[in-house]
Amino acid sequence: MNYRSIGVPHQSDVSLMLEGTYPYVRGGVSSWVHQLIQGMPHLTFYLVFIGGTRDAFGDAHYELPSNVTGIETHYIMEPEASAKPRARKVGQKAISQWFNVLSHFFDSNQPLSEEEVDYLLTDVAKRHGFDRKDFLFSEESWQVLIDLYDLYAHNQSFIDFFWTFRNIYSPLFRLIEIARKLPKTRAVHSVSTGFAGFLGALTKHHQKVPYLLSEHGIYTKERKIDLSQAEWIKERHNILDNSIHRSHEQTRLMWITFFEQLGRTSYAFADKITALYEGNRQRQVTDGAPAERTQVIVNGIKLSRFDQSYQQRPEAPPKIAALVGRVVPIKDIKTFIRAIAVCASSDSEIQGWIAGPTEEDEDYFHECEMLVRSLNMEHNIQFLGMKNVAELFPQIGVCVLSSISEAQPLVLLEAMACGIPCIATNVGASAEIIHGMTDEDRELGSCGWITNIASPDKIAGAITECFHPDTPWQTLGDNGRARVIKYYQEETMFEHFRQGYEELISWQG
Amino acid sequence: MAGIGFELRKILKKNTLFSYLEAYGLAAVIGSGPWALSIIALLLIGIVSIGRIFPTDLIIQFLVMVTYLMAASLILSGFFQLMLTRFISDLIFQQRANDIVPNLVGCMLVMSSLTFTAGFGISLITELEQSIEITMISGLVVLSNLWIIIVFLSGMKQYYKIIFTLAAGYTIMVGGSLLFPTNGLLGLLQIFVGSQALITFTLLIFVFREFKFQRLVMFEFLDRKKAFYSLAFCGLFYNLGVWVDKFVFWFYPDVSFNVISIFRASYIYDLPIFIAYLAIIPGMAVFLLHMETDFAESNEKFYDAVRTGSSLDDIYLYKDKMVMDARNSLYQIFKVQGITLALLLLWSERILQLLGIDLAYLHLLYVDLVGVSLQVLLMALLNVLFYLDKRYISLFLITLMMALNFGLSWLSVQLGPQFYGYGFAIAMLVSTLIGIAFLNRKFARLEYETFMLQRS
Repeated sequence: MNYRSIGVPHQSDVSLMLEGTYPYVRGGVSSWVHQLIQGMPHLTFYLVFIGGTRDAFGDAHYELPSNVTGIETHYIMEPEASAKPRARKVGQKAISQWFNVLSHFFDSNQPLSEEEVDYLLTDVAKRHGFDRKDFLFSEESWQVLIDLYDLYAHNQSFIDFFWTFRNIYSPLFRLIEIARKLPKTRAVHSVSTGFAGFLGALTKHHQKVPYLLSEHGIYTKERKIDLSQAEWIKERHNILDNSIHRSHEQTRLMWITFFEQLGRTSYAFADKITALYEGNRQRQVTDGAPAERTQVIVNGIKLSRFDQSYQQRPEAPPKIAALVGRVVPIKDIKTFIRAIAVCASSDSEIQGWIAGPTEEDEDYFHECEMLVRSLNMEHNIQFLGMKNVAELFPQIGVCVLSSISEAQPLVLLEAMACGIPCIATNVGASAEIIHGMTDEDRELGSCGWITNIASPDKIAGAITECFHPDTPWQTLGDNGRARVIKYYQEETMFEHFRQGYEELISWQG
Repeated sequence: MAGIGFELRKILKKNTLFSYLEAYGLAAVIGSGPWALSIIALLLIGIVSIGRIFPTDLIIQFLVMVTYLMAASLILSGFFQLMLTRFISDLIFQQRANDIVPNLVGCMLVMSSLTFTAGFGISLITELEQSIEITMISGLVVLSNLWIIIVFLSGMKQYYKIIFTLAAGYTIMVGGSLLFPTNGLLGLLQIFVGSQALITFTLLIFVFREFKFQRLVMFEFLDRKKAFYSLAFCGLFYNLGVWVDKFVFWFYPDVSFNVISIFRASYIYDLPIFIAYLAIIPGMAVFLLHMETDFAESNEKFYDAVRTGSSLDDIYLYKDKMVMDARNSLYQIFKVQGITLALLLLWSERILQLLGIDLAYLHLLYVDLVGVSLQVLLMALLNVLFYLDKRYISLFLITLMMALNFGLSWLSVQLGPQFYGYGFAIAMLVSTLIGIAFLNRKFARLEYETFMLQRS
């Protein structure tokens, strides 16, 4: 189908689906989106922001670039003006299809089929089809709920099931309405799976346009982690109930399979799926992404920012190991402190610097300080607070990252751009960054060491080796800089996306 | 009557023959309503006064005027009875016990100004002696407040207080009319209103002594967001509905006569129906005993199961138990009221002879006995519907009963003496049957409506 030939003016070239991020939230993904839009002035963007509830988000943090044609903001968990509950009837056909669709959300092994998405778009959330009131109040919808309860949650707490069911599926009606009303676009781009990704799939099917799905983290996995820590899922204690955690687990499971299905359908409908690194790409494939449509597009940095720092780099390494990052448990600062303590036992000159905000988790920061004191490391370890990395890196000998979880840590790339070797735990894209991803990449040589997580000894060994006179310290650093120049420049990343857009749009148009 | 079940269950736990008698007795007195008591008391006054008050017409005038007072006060206070009871049980649920008394006082203030205005308005057209008018207006205000307090105290499980106070009050009333020098109609009315006021204020003192409060007056019970006005109309229309057939007969010229001023009575209709109302006492006792113990308990268990995370199978199980208890309660009422009815039908003739009433009333008494028995069943059905919080269905049923009772009674007057009473009885029969059909449907859809149609 050729939209351009129909002569209908496109409202935008790309509709961006943004869930809980740009422009209302600051952070890695948001600045990435902002750069992406700014980096493609020849394309117009239409933004669809999806949030949970209004109070979780403040004002926009970014000034929208001039090539943004519009933005719509939806809070899909916000309670709607409550209609008065009244009994109502629904046709048998509409309800059996509804049952089929919902079954997929309980048993998330298969994505929604085209017919099922078609049914959602043509019949659901419509006055004369199956609308939200039918969902909430009709006897047939109640029957569907009971059937699903009997199939998937038999003997579990019914009231919990009931409310979870309502909370989970009510937002679907909003999503469908949003998809139906979305202005014409030439391509859809979602930066996560989840609600935004599902909306992308709906829009793709509704407008018959190409769909690009680019994930930074893995949305479904992150939701699962959230859910495993969620305290809002009520625990009910029942003496007769031999398993205390059952209803708790059931609610969690319903949400998990729901998110899994959102992800699976997002992947099934996306024409191109990108991940930040190979590990995540494989994870996407495991979660249902067709491997042939997946691709790794790494994030890049602005190299010019670090040119001067590279010039300032000394001949020999200063005996300073720096960890740049927030002082929070996920960064495992304590392991870094212990590693420095191990190094200092053989070479008391070695210093450990921790550069990053400390106020996010003050208890953890306090624990770290206590650890420094108990190890008698007050003279070797310093908490610097926030620092400009371009100024910091020329003063240090090695950049250390002891995190227990990362995606694609930009701080390593920044250190490499300054020609500083790195030591990182084997999480996320760290190994690909330090050793290289492809064969061609690996030929550039390593720029540091990869260690296991939570192993101070290994990190200490790497630091000691890095500062050893026999180690070609500058060569290691140069390898890193060469890798950044070749693969991790911001411009390279934009080029990939530019190509991606062009490909998708022209392929369709 | 949210609380009576608890008291009854406590008595029944003793499990002796006497405890059963006590429980049934308590239920009978509370259930049949103070107005069954007042019918007896009025009959007593009537009997006591014969031979003391001359001319005898004055006694008739007194009884008729008191009947109007009863009717007007029950109808007007009906507007607040159910609404206030529900509001107070919501307060208790929210653990706001301190706000109960202020709202009761607020309700009584509203009630007083409302009934005073109504009484004053009526007094403008009655052209009675001023002293009688003033006594009547006071009577209306006092009685309306009395019904409110009694409903309130029943809700608070103060049954013995109600009973002893009522008994003492009515003893004083009968004794007073026996001992005090006769002062004609005014004297009788003053004794009646005076003793009602005594009862009211005694109960009010109990209220102020027994319950904690920090403010004296609150009007929160009128707040549209917190009060259920559908219940107000249920109460109003129910009382209007059970009185409307009497009004039809009082104001239809062929079957009524003027007693005094605008107050009319029906020489054929009144006596049988008031006697018939005494027949509901056994049915009401059973009704209360079963509804407020077995049914109330299984109803509570059902909603507990819903709230506290039982599985759907368990919820079904509790519902089945509740349906069974409701059915059993209705069946027990049916059984006991049926036996009562059969016996009374057999004895009607002798009762009338004993009371020295013309046997011409016999046929009408038969019909009325059936009618009031059905009314007990209807009350039981409405009670179940209130427990299930089906306010609009209840309102519909009550409105239907009111309309039928009015329309059919009016029709029966047109059709002639052999049809008198059928209007009332058929109205009750039809409403009861429709009520059973509704209840059946409501039970079948209970889980669906409980979950899907709840207001969040």
